Amino acid sequence: MSLRSFITVIASPRPRVGKTLAARLLADFHLHNGRAIAAFDINGEDAALSEFMPRYSAPADVTEVHGQMALFDRLVADDGVYKIVDLGAPAFKTFFDVARQIDFAAELRRRGLAVVVLFIATPDATSVEAYADLRRSLPQAAIVPVHNEILGVAQHRDKFAGPEGPLPIQIAALAPGLRKVIDRKPFSFADPAGADIPLEMHMELQRWLRKIYVEFRQMELRVLLTDLARSLGEPRSTQI
Amino acid sequence: MAKPAVILVGADKGGVGKTTVARTLLDYFIAHQVPVRAFDTESPRGTLKRFHPDITEVVDVTQVPDQMKIFDTLGNSQASVTVIDIRAGLLSPTLKALNEIGLLDSAKKGQITFVVFHILGPSIASLEEIAETAGVVGDANYFLVKNFINNTTFFEWDPSTYNSYFKKIPGAAEITVPKLNEMACEQVEVASTPFVGFVANKDGKGDAANYSFVLRGYVRHWLGNVWGEYDRVQLMDIVTPKGEGEARQAAS
Repeated sequence: MSLRSFITVIASPRPRVGKTLAARLLADFHLHNGRAIAAFDINGEDAALSEFMPRYSAPADVTEVHGQMALFDRLVADDGVYKIVDLGAPAFKTFFDVARQIDFAAELRRRGLAVVVLFIATPDATSVEAYADLRRSLPQAAIVPVHNEILGVAQHRDKFAGPEGPLPIQIAALAPGLRKVIDRKPFSFADPAGADIPLEMHMELQRWLRKIYVEFRQMELRVLLTDLARSLGEPRSTQI
Repeated sequence: MAKPAVILVGADKGGVGKTTVARTLLDYFIAHQVPVRAFDTESPRGTLKRFHPDITEVVDVTQVPDQMKIFDTLGNSQASVTVIDIRAGLLSPTLKALNEIGLLDSAKKGQITFVVFHILGPSIASLEEIAETAGVVGDANYFLVKNFINNTTFFEWDPSTYNSYFKKIPGAAEITVPKLNEMACEQVEVASTPFVGFVANKDGKGDAANYSFVLRGYVRHWLGNVWGEYDRVQLMDIVTPKGEGEARQAAS
């Protein structure tokens, strides 16, 4: 399998844990690398991602079949576009139920496309169980925990990664004062010049971004290496 | 020559999904590489023929020449399984006719395998068909099919009433056809292609098509469940008794 593009689903069964922020960062990481992107905003009426990046993101819906067709048929299209799904908490179960029922993972494998689930890790039982359930039901998928330090220092890593589990991604805490800058709509990390930010803040933002981009780059490499190991028939392939 | 198998798919009511079940059976046997042919008694319209034109012939099962076309060819047809989609209201008369021409006796003697798929509607009235047909089916492999494809609800059935009818046919087994998403169902109808062809993204002529991946996924999932039911009742073992399947595989 040659991985020509990635589909990344950013998910958590909990609201307000930083899914849209992670989606924005990843979208801008792809843009920063000169890649074509399309983002799907499954958040009902609260389509924040689409407000932050209206050029690349559009609201999507998985509750009825027309919406499912518009979303999944586009996701499996082998068009070289990097796709990002910002999966809101209310749609979490439906999305994965539909994906299982239509055998989304098998179709992606057939088409040589990779899917990564970035799971925003929070210490509550709902989140821990949902993560374990996803790992069980999608054994072939790369399900990567994301520790969002903006929510506080992660003290629950062991619940999301055992010795066989994937290496997590870390979103570093944001410097004081930057939050209100990046929360303006629209806002692009890849092109913050238009946001009229003082130089010091701009430099701080770049430092913060660089750390996160390194995390994303390492994750991509791990996915590629895992896939390579799998295609060579090596049994050890769970370390994403 | 393998022992021929005849599968009747019928109900005394229209609109309960006989043709849908017949289509899943044809797909099932084709997928298992069992030579199969079908007769569509919806003369002259032929819904089944629209989906499986190469292996389906439209006949009038009440007419002797067409009965000869079906039953006199059982021993010398290439197909080891013959599926007959019986038009609404003709299940009981057809079974009586088959009794008269001696087909059911042949089944009793083990010369042919005879299978009935009785598709059930949602009302008690349709259960009375079971009592009516029970008298003539004898030793047939009898399957009562609860067809939920159009979200039919069976809430009107009192379990004790149902069981009292159900027990009238010794050895009868129940098959459940689950619901299929309406739009997926509709798209397969429009495409006029077998379910397997739709899943494989092929049109009626076998050329590449452009059906929605989501709808194909729903159909694949649903068809897998229906075939799971056929596996559960060991349909393959019934129509190709032990040994014949291996021989066929070795020959192919």
